[in-house]
Amino acid sequence: MTTPPISSEQSSFWPSIWTIMRKDLRIEQHTGQTVSVMVMFSLVTVIMFNFALGTNLGAARELSTGLLWATILLAGTLGLNRSLAIEQENQTFDALLIAPVHRNAIYLGKVFSISLFTLALEAILVVVFIVFFDKPFWRPPVLLVLAMGTFGYIAAGVLITSMSIQTRSRDVLLPVLLLPLSLPLVLPAAMAVSAYMFPQWPEWSEVQSAISLVLIYDLLMVTVGLFTYHYVVEA
Amino acid sequence: MELAKLNRNTRILNIAAIVVLAIALGMIFFYAPVEQTMGNVQRIFYFHVGSAWVGSLAFLVALVSGIMFLRKPSRKWDTTAVAAVEIGLVFLSMAIVSGSVWGKPAWNTWWLWSPRLTMVTIAWLAYAAYFMLRGAIDDEERRGRFSAVYVIISFVTIILTFVSIRILRDIHPVVFGGAMESAQGASEGLQEFSGLDSMKMVITLNVSVIAFTLVFGAWMLNRIRLQRLTDETQILKSRVAAQLQGEV
Repeated sequence: MTTPPISSEQSSFWPSIWTIMRKDLRIEQHTGQTVSVMVMFSLVTVIMFNFALGTNLGAARELSTGLLWATILLAGTLGLNRSLAIEQENQTFDALLIAPVHRNAIYLGKVFSISLFTLALEAILVVVFIVFFDKPFWRPPVLLVLAMGTFGYIAAGVLITSMSIQTRSRDVLLPVLLLPLSLPLVLPAAMAVSAYMFPQWPEWSEVQSAISLVLIYDLLMVTVGLFTYHYVVEA
Repeated sequence: MELAKLNRNTRILNIAAIVVLAIALGMIFFYAPVEQTMGNVQRIFYFHVGSAWVGSLAFLVALVSGIMFLRKPSRKWDTTAVAAVEIGLVFLSMAIVSGSVWGKPAWNTWWLWSPRLTMVTIAWLAYAAYFMLRGAIDDEERRGRFSAVYVIISFVTIILTFVSIRILRDIHPVVFGGAMESAQGASEGLQEFSGLDSMKMVITLNVSVIAFTLVFGAWMLNRIRLQRLTDETQILKSRVAAQLQGEV
């Protein structure tokens, strides 16, 4: 009996990322739990913050960009925890590790699929925020910064969550570890988004530094993730 | 088994650190001239820069030990990383507190949410969480591996702190490699003092940075020795427990 030839890692790298993404999307399609939990949680958060701001709509509008990011971060921890812990609980993650797939393909597959979930959440949040705060959140550069920020945040998040779910305190540890690490991203990202909230579009030079900080963060986090992920998922 | 003794290098470094720190303190108070606009308050600056410098140096040491641990797992690198993060946190806290004390007379407020100050606070939080992670893992091998990965990730906050001050507008002056920018900032009226006014100040600053670096080195060696003693005690304890159980 001849064994089928195992294709080299290079050639199967991108297809396996795609396979992992499709698997996660299909699970989500059947259960719909990750995105729905994130959406519910974000709506509650937004309404809760509005209690804190009182009935002062002017103040709420001023703070809305920061509020959007804070909501995304908090809801993101839920999505990360759910998507990765579910695999740990059902021991399907071990199956993923046994499969002849490069560890970095698993990492990127997870980053892409959870980013997609978070983007779906953001699509809903943007509509909610336009309705609640009457600010131009629909502008293409705003959406682009949201997407870039989400990617970097999830890239850091997958790495941290893969560690935190293997510890004793699990769910409690994730926000403590991840939120401080995500703040250097949110600070420039919120600055860039709020620059686009005025009726007039800002000059490129005004937002250039903030957007490049977001880009630097994305690059650094993905690089660190690719180099260290296999140390995190080792048995 | 031989207990981790206080070796000669540690002793020499301990004494050198105390002596140079005393010299630096003397220079700060008696040698450095009084700054023209801020007066004596500016003397905090030498202390502030020294501790901020050691803070970032310590986190760099932690990063390197983290990478070394992942390449070749050994208790030695884990201990070095723990010591470096612990000491780095202390010095970063000193930098924040001394900056705050300086900020009150200079900016008329203890705290400002300027990008740099925010970033430093974030770095502080990220490194404080390092100990939460360690505390949540029982398995020694896994604890070493995870904390090595975490120490590499959290260095991103330090990199971004350095990058952000150079590309975002900030009220905080740039000291390392920022003479051009601080001169520019001063001409725009953004900063309270442009670089260092005289040679004496430069010398004092350098001596205090050297003093703080020596204190860091001495502290590292002592902290690593302390960890080794703790480890050895643990081994002895379990050995005694095993023996007692055998007798019963």
